[in-house]
Amino acid sequence: MFGQIKMVMTLVLIAGIAGAGMYVMKLRSDNAILKVNQQKLETAITEQNKVLEQQKQDFTAIMESNKKLNVLINTFKKDLQDLDKRFTKKNRDIGKLAISRTKAIERIVNKGGKNAARCIELASGAEHTEKELKATLKSEINPECPSLANPNFVHYE
Amino acid sequence: MNKIFTLAIIILLTGCSIGGEKKIKIFSIEKPREKLDYSMPTALQLEELKWIIITSENAQEVFAKLEEAGIDPVLFGITDKDYQVLARNFAQIRQKLQETNNLLKEYKKYYEPKDKE
Repeated sequence: MFGQIKMVMTLVLIAGIAGAGMYVMKLRSDNAILKVNQQKLETAITEQNKVLEQQKQDFTAIMESNKKLNVLINTFKKDLQDLDKRFTKKNRDIGKLAISRTKAIERIVNKGGKNAARCIELASGAEHTEKELKATLKSEINPECPSLANPNFVHYE
Repeated sequence: MNKIFTLAIIILLTGCSIGGEKKIKIFSIEKPREKLDYSMPTALQLEELKWIIITSENAQEVFAKLEEAGIDPVLFGITDKDYQVLARNFAQIRQKLQETNNLLKEYKKYYEPKDKE
């Protein structure tokens, strides 16, 4: 009787030790999986942060580009208004002026044509000359397109 | 003998499937699109032209000078109002050219940044 109890106790003890051993093994395996998961999550978070940072940079670049183009389009409007003003300033009639001061107007028209042609060249991507870049006075600028031809010129009255 | 026979039957039935079939691995590699990399359009180089203003008073003189210079005494004229229209039209063409060129530059800057090459 006592021998049987001893045997059962031994079996229970062995089963317990084996169970505990297996449980520890399972815990170790779970721990390893969790570690890998943790690493993957950390990598994913880093990548997500990178993506977010890139998106932020892209958004800033888009905003900046839009702003630049809006400024450019506003400059266009002003340039056209300035052109109209030159023809109609103080009730100026260029036709009548051309009759009374033919030679002078011819000179002005030719100079204006030359300047306008230079503006088209610059708009198509031509490089600025040193003189154009250095121009800061009204007498030095290309009055047909100062914002394009003379980037260092600040408008003054 | 029986054991050998049983083992032989098992090997015969399972054949190459021992150890399982190898799985085909499918993976994708992200390959960035090739850059278009066009160079910017060549800038225009315009030829110079000369405007002649002709009025009822100087017409004779102008034509005489043209003949003297060996140029056909003919002029293609526009009125002062049309001259203003022409000036405006050219200004608009120039602005459109500038706008398109700027757009192209901005696109290049955004999609083909030099520091990422």
